[in-house]
Amino acid sequence: MTDLETPQAGDDGAQDLDVVALLIRQHGDIRNLFDEVESSTGDERRDAFRRLVRLLAVHETAEEEIVHPFARRAMPGGAQVVEDRLAEERAAKETLAALDDLDTGDPKFMPQLMKLRKDVQEHARAEERYEFTHIRRSTDVTNLAAMAKAVKAAEAMAPTRPHPGVESTTANMALGPVAALVDRTRDAVRNAMGKNG
Amino acid sequence: MTFNPLEQRGIPLDRQLRSWRELNVKPIDPDHCDPYTRCRIITMNGIEVEAILFSHQLARNTVDPEVKRQLARTRYIEAQQQKVVNWLLPGVSSVLETTIAYEQVAVDLTAWVARMEPDPYLKQAYQFGVLEDFDHLYRYANLYEMIEHRKAESIVDGLTEVMPGRPTRFHHRDPVDNVRDPYTKDETNPLSKLHALTILSAEQQTMNFYMNTGPTYMEPIARQLYQEIGLIEEEHVTHYESLVDPGETWWEQLVNHEYNECYLYYSFMEQESDPRVKAIWELHLNMELEHLHIACDLMRRHDGREPQEVLAPELPNVLTFEPNKQYLRELLDTQMDLTTLGAGYVREQHERFEQMQEQIHGGEEPPSDRVMAEHEAMFGREYRIESEGEHPDPDLREK
Repeated sequence: MTDLETPQAGDDGAQDLDVVALLIRQHGDIRNLFDEVESSTGDERRDAFRRLVRLLAVHETAEEEIVHPFARRAMPGGAQVVEDRLAEERAAKETLAALDDLDTGDPKFMPQLMKLRKDVQEHARAEERYEFTHIRRSTDVTNLAAMAKAVKAAEAMAPTRPHPGVESTTANMALGPVAALVDRTRDAVRNAMGKNG
Repeated sequence: MTFNPLEQRGIPLDRQLRSWRELNVKPIDPDHCDPYTRCRIITMNGIEVEAILFSHQLARNTVDPEVKRQLARTRYIEAQQQKVVNWLLPGVSSVLETTIAYEQVAVDLTAWVARMEPDPYLKQAYQFGVLEDFDHLYRYANLYEMIEHRKAESIVDGLTEVMPGRPTRFHHRDPVDNVRDPYTKDETNPLSKLHALTILSAEQQTMNFYMNTGPTYMEPIARQLYQEIGLIEEEHVTHYESLVDPGETWWEQLVNHEYNECYLYYSFMEQESDPRVKAIWELHLNMELEHLHIACDLMRRHDGREPQEVLAPELPNVLTFEPNKQYLRELLDTQMDLTTLGAGYVREQHERFEQMQEQIHGGEEPPSDRVMAEHEAMFGREYRIESEGEHPDPDLREK
């Protein structure tokens, strides 16, 4: 791999005026982290996996709180589309929970990770094709921007990557279990959504 | 090389039809496949699409209903082959991801053909074209990082470098300057005919892909970049198809098509790293051998000639996907500033070229330049893979 680092969504120079563009980039970030977990070993793999779990938790929570409710309300047939996405998310969460109990050095870890990767990738593309396209069509720019702001608020509350001078990798990893992270993200999103209208 | 398709028999045509179960192939894994497996799939899809379209054109120019029926039988099997080959591509890949793989094909396939082409005029045509595909790869790679936060490296995997070629804005030439002179069918090396057919098929498929998938993007810069590069693919089809001698009869062309399919399936079978995909290349080779025999019979009947008169005495050296980094660097060093004038190549920007440039750009930056500016604004740098050192042209090193 080259030394070029692609910053995570929210940390690049994009204006993030469109929640869909932001979430598509985050799908790429998740895929990049899967690559990182696969290509590393030992402590590096453990660290990359923790970052992956955090990003997945924040990303899925933000979608559940912001994007899916909007799709359910605003799209014709939206309820069914969202139901299908939630079923995929539940399946991915089960695999994730099973993985979370394993050490990254466990021989069962990689096969489980490959299964999770496949589920997550299929889920992400299904969202992009069957949900996000409709969101862009059925809402105005103000709403897309407001939702983008809420997603960014979720990330700020639960950083997935140590921000320089703010916290170390260890501190980031010590933030606690996934369930607590999900709760904190949900609160942050609800706060931001409340403020936005 | 002792494999001679004319002396082999394949699967009888009436045993080639596949059921839904057999057509339902498992796609490759985009995150763990050999990048050149994906390149071979994309190449063979382009070859099968050309086979189908050519056969349709031939049928529309055929009076005898019995011959039309014969063409329809083979063509239906070819349509099934195309489905199996292209359906090896996974549904989870995005259009842009597949686009980058298409450009990797264009770069490494054209570079290999340029290296192997015996005729200097034809060789120049491939050398000229490959520097444009190379630049398209670089532009799309930057768009890919912007939209999906993914690096082209995760697709091309260090086999192909990603950096500027001949700048895309200079690819827009007056259409008359895209027409080349053809080879002479009775004098040219039979390998040259296969090369021309292979590259024109690949470029035609790329043109079709961009013209149909470009508007599925919502991001304005993506839509515009696909329009711009899509138009250049049309220029490339014009460029390469004009290399083929128009004096070849329909039946001779049919035989060349089928022979080329045998050549490519055989080549890819020999080098395929994925055993499941290799089995498909082998099966399709055995189908093509029969298609070739049918085509040879049609040529004998309608042209009163032996196919051996137009074909190579034996299959040429296998066509290979492999890195061409040093070769491309040599071309970057020597052929960047070429454009076409009539059927030849010049270094100066002549009047007709300048007029075209003025009209199409309309005083504005083309999408291929704006994508770089937008990428710069987002990341403060460009996306490149320069694994073999800095760019050979000092003007094109990243500032």
